[in-house]
This record gives sequence, structure tokens and C-alpha cells, in this order.
Amino acid sequence: MTQHIAQEPYIALKGISKAYNIGGQAVPIFSGLDLCIPHGDFVAVMGPSGSGKSTLLNMLAGIDRPDAGSLRIGASHLDQMGEAARSSWRAHHMGIVFQFYNLLPILTAAENVELPLLLKPLSRRERRIRVERVLDLVGLGGRERQYPGVMSGGQQQRVGIARAIVCDPGLLLCDEPTGDLDRKSADEILEMLCFLNRQLGKTIVMVTHDPQAALHAKRTLHLDKGDFVEERRAA
Amino acid sequence: MTFFDLARKNAWRKPLRTLLLMVCIAVAFLIYGLAASFVAGAQGAAGASDELLGVMSATGRTQPLPMALMPRIAADPEVAAVGYMTRMRGFIEVEKNVVAVSAVDPGLLMSVNGKELGLTADLVDAIGQARENVLVGRALADAQGWTAGQRIAVTTFDIAKQDGSRDWRFEIAGIFEGENASTDTYFMIGRYDYVNAVRARGKDTVDAFIVRPQASAVPDLAAHIDQLFANSAAPTRTQSEKQFLEAFLRQYADIGMIVNLVTGAAFVTVLMIVVNTMVFAVRERLFEIGVLKTLGFSQTRIVALILGETLFVFAIGGGCGLALAKLATVFAGPNLGLVFSPLVFAKALAILLVLGFATGALPALNAIRTPIINAFRSR
Ligand SMILES: Nc1ncnc2c1ncn2[C@@H]1O[C@H](COP(=O)(O)OP(=O)(O)OP(=O)(O)O)[C@@H](O)[C@H]1O
Ligand SMILES: [Mg+2]
Repeated sequence: MTQHIAQEPYIALKGISKAYNIGGQAVPIFSGLDLCIPHGDFVAVMGPSGSGKSTLLNMLAGIDRPDAGSLRIGASHLDQMGEAARSSWRAHHMGIVFQFYNLLPILTAAENVELPLLLKPLSRRERRIRVERVLDLVGLGGRERQYPGVMSGGQQQRVGIARAIVCDPGLLLCDEPTGDLDRKSADEILEMLCFLNRQLGKTIVMVTHDPQAALHAKRTLHLDKGDFVEERRAA
Repeated sequence: MTFFDLARKNAWRKPLRTLLLMVCIAVAFLIYGLAASFVAGAQGAAGASDELLGVMSATGRTQPLPMALMPRIAADPEVAAVGYMTRMRGFIEVEKNVVAVSAVDPGLLMSVNGKELGLTADLVDAIGQARENVLVGRALADAQGWTAGQRIAVTTFDIAKQDGSRDWRFEIAGIFEGENASTDTYFMIGRYDYVNAVRARGKDTVDAFIVRPQASAVPDLAAHIDQLFANSAAPTRTQSEKQFLEAFLRQYADIGMIVNLVTGAAFVTVLMIVVNTMVFAVRERLFEIGVLKTLGFSQTRIVALILGETLFVFAIGGGCGLALAKLATVFAGPNLGLVFSPLVFAKALAILLVLGFATGALPALNAIRTPIINAFRSR
């Protein structure tokens, strides 16, 4: 039985439908979308603007809900969970990295990273130790007290990544994590994601417009007209 | 960092705005603290019992009642003791320096209200020695710098003597202390027999009877007394001492109501300013709240965060206002008759909490009603 579960994909979407009400009309984004992602995968999702990439990511993050279909991640059936349950699920199982970092400007780098830890039963000391550890991991040791406003885009995105992994979630969702960065910073961030995927076993779903970024993933899915076309699979 | 630090940092995001809010809240609570202390002190309401009843004319507080009602009230088996009083308002030297003289039968007052006022047999004896003797309350004596044995002159506003003059000479026979700090002692006790004999008009009338009910008296004794005179030429209105004092002991306007209106207006203004500011402050960062939600902050935590922020602003602003009010009562209290009683403080705290929650509620509601995906679109 355990054997069987272990072989099941980590993320399973079946028959997902989603429509948005635009100007009084229901505009379908997905109708009957299926997707399986195994444990430890690193998937890049590409596609034209408006094809529903962010919508998909939002559903995986439990922020948005499908109109129909089933959405399971690990043992959690997100489509059947209420707001409070999904919120708690996010706190424990998922980290998210945004294109524009979305750090709180009133908090220092360390405090931004500490935010998700406030939701856990940890002492002040334990929280500090964890924050220091992940900031070291993303190469920002010594910048704990800096505010996002004085940091470069690449540094801010590292803080964003540190915040996403500080609770040690199994799943990392990234919405165009390098979209706002120069090539060099972008490559550093992508290297970091590869490291998290290979060394720490995080499952990563990354939306991107950048074919070079997609090359870092294990496979690339192309989203068009509400369905997937697999483009490339790394050797 | 803790959850509270986060709320605090949010509150200080725009320091000037937050400071102005705090000042505005502080002023409102200063007004409240002073006004409520004034009511508590000046009217002795803080120390007033619900036990004593005051019988006044039903046609108006300033209308006198005939002395002749007294035996009928006293005859009621539910009544333990009855006293009476005529209140004279006047001033010492300058019109601003207002004082009140309660003309009473000292012996009767002693039996009805002696304990609360801090009357002793010696004091009653002392005032009995001469017609022009008065007993002065501690607060009034301190404010005027009077001591026993001193002669004083009161110019009354309303009650004239038969010779047309309104200057009354008294000699201070003693000072009564009041039962405790919140007892109203900013007045003096004179002799009714003297005042009644000398005054030009209103002979043999009183402003009020004071009744101490029997311990076993029925709760609606007040209604029962009013019943006695309902169809007479002098219908009465009987209230507990608390209501009575607030309404009557010092014949100012209805201070309680004015205070309520003023502080009410101050609080409503503050409420609107703070709600408005907070709604905008939170709207400005719906996006950040969306980020917090994606990190797994529940609705409850978001609400707690925003309520915590408003409560923080209220606690500091209100705390400063109340501290200033307390300071004012300590330094100017005895002169102005201000008593910042624990009750005033407790009420202020309750108002603080209610206002804090009320102002936080609307922005908090806005924040949780915004779905995360919309929050992300506000950028
Ligand atoms: N909350 C919403 N209400 C209405 N329409 C929405 C909403 N969210 C998304 N849409 C619409 O759904 C479609 C897909 O949006 P989505 O953001 O998922 O696209 P995307 O693939 O991420 O595009 P981009 O590459 O520009 O980020 C778009 O046409 C968008 O206008
Ligand atoms: Mg998008």
C-alpha cells in the first residue's frame, strides 16, 4: 500500500476546468486539463501571455480554485479544502517565489524571511537560527539587517527564495522568478533553484518566458489554448 | 520579530500619520478624562449611593416644595429619616468664584446623610451655636484657603434678603471631610432656620427633601412617595441620591448631559478620522496582505494583525490622553473638583477597547474580503 502511494505522482490534476467572468461572460481558461508531476521534478511552464500560466500556479498554491476537476498535492486534495485549511496547507507545504519579489519594505531581509516562521510553534531563538541558515544558503549571510529598498534585484530575489524555503516545504512555485533580472543575476537564481531541486529534493514548478531559464528545468511544458504540449525533456 | 512587532511596524509605516492619529486620540481621551473627572468630582456622583432618595418638585428642579410635605414623608413606615435643604448659589468677591450653600437642619442632615458627608456630633454641635454659622466642605475650604473660625461673605445670585441685599455673612464653625476622596465637599452647609427667616421670598419652602429609606424598604419607595403627592398642589419627583446629586446638588446646567455630548462628539470625530485613515492605510497595502495570505497567514491572523495595529495606536494615544488627564486632576483637582476615580479610568479603558476594535473592524473586513488573486492585481 505504502509502495503504491510512493509511486503515485506528487501532484495530480485531473479534468481541471477554470473560467473567468470577464465583462459578464464566462471565458474558459482551462477545460479538462490533466497534469502529473512526480516528486523531485523541476518543471518549467512556458506559453503566450494570457494562456493561464499564473492561473495554474495560483491553483497549485491553493490561492485560486478550479471550477471542476480534482487537484491533489501530496495527500492534500486542495479542491476539497476550505479557505482556512488551504491557508494552513500553504504555510506548511508550499513556498512561492514571485517575479517582483514581493518583500515587505518595512521589514529587514531577516524579518522578511522570518515571516512564515511566525506561523510555526518556534521560539525566537529557533526562528533566528533558521533564518540565518537559509540566508547563508542563498549567499546573503551578513545582510540580515538590510532593507529590501537598498538591495539589488538579484539580492531581493534571493531573500524571496530564502523566505520560500525557510519552512522547508516540499513544493516550490515560481512565477517568472527571473523576469525582472539581468542575465547574470538570473543565472545565479536559476543555479540556486537547480541546487534546491537536486540537493534538497524540492519539487519545483516554474513559470517563465525565458527559454534559457527553461533549460535549467528537467522538463518544459508548453501551455497553449488551455492544454499542455511537452516541449523538451532533459537527458 | 514577533507577531506584535509586525503590527507595530505596520503602524509606524508612516510615522507622521501615525503620530497625528495618536495626538488626535490623546486629545479625545484628555477631554474625556477631564470631563468625566469633573462629573465624578463636582457632582459627588462617584461617592453617591443609590440608597438615599431626593424628593423634588415634579414641575422643575428649581421649583420649591412646601415644608408642609415633610411630616407626610416622615410618616411613611418605609422611611428611616428625612432631611431637607434649600440651595443658595452665590460667589465670594468675584463672580467667577462660585460657591453653593446648602441650608439645612443640621441635626436632620446628620441622621440622613451624616456618614457620607463626614459630619460628626461635634460639627453639628458647632454649627448649632450661632445662626450664622456654617460648616465648609474640605475641598471648598482648601480651594479658598479657609480655616475654622474665619468670617466669610457670600453674595447670592438668586436669593435676596428682606432688606434687598444679597450679601450673606457667615462664620465658619467647622470643616467636614467627606467619607472619602470622591465625596463632593465643594460646598458649605448653612442653617435653614437662619436663611428662611432672613430671605425675602419663598418662606417655608425647600428645594428638596432627602430621605433615607429603612433597610427593609421596598425598592420602589421613590414611586411610592411620589404617589402620596400625585394629585396635590405640589407633585413630587423622587430619585436616588446619585440621580439627585447629578441633577441637582449643584444647580449648574445638566453637566452630565453636556459632558456626554461633548465627549461623544469628540469620540465620534476621532472614530471617523481614524477609521478613514485606517481604511486608506490598509487599502494601500492590500497587496502586501495578499502576500501574507500566500505565505499562509489565515484570515484570523490578518484580522488580528490589523486590529492589533489600531489597538496599538489607540493604546498609545489614549494612554497619553488619560495620563495627561490624571496629571491635571492631581495638580488642579482639588480646586476644580476633579476626581479621576478608578471608575472613570475603567470606563475610559472600555471606551478605548471598543473604539480600537470598532475602527479596526472595517479595514480588517476589507482586508479579508479581498481574495488573494485580487490583492495581486492591485499592483
Ligand atoms: N481574477 C481574474 N478575473 C478575471 N480574469 C482573469 C483573472 N485572472 C486571470 N484572468 C484572465 O485569465 C487569463 C489567464 O491569465 P493568467 O494571468 O493566468 O495568464 P498568464 O499566462 O500568466 O499571462 P502572463 O504571461 O501575461 O503572465 C487572462 O486572459 C486573464 O485576463
Ligand atoms: Mg502570469
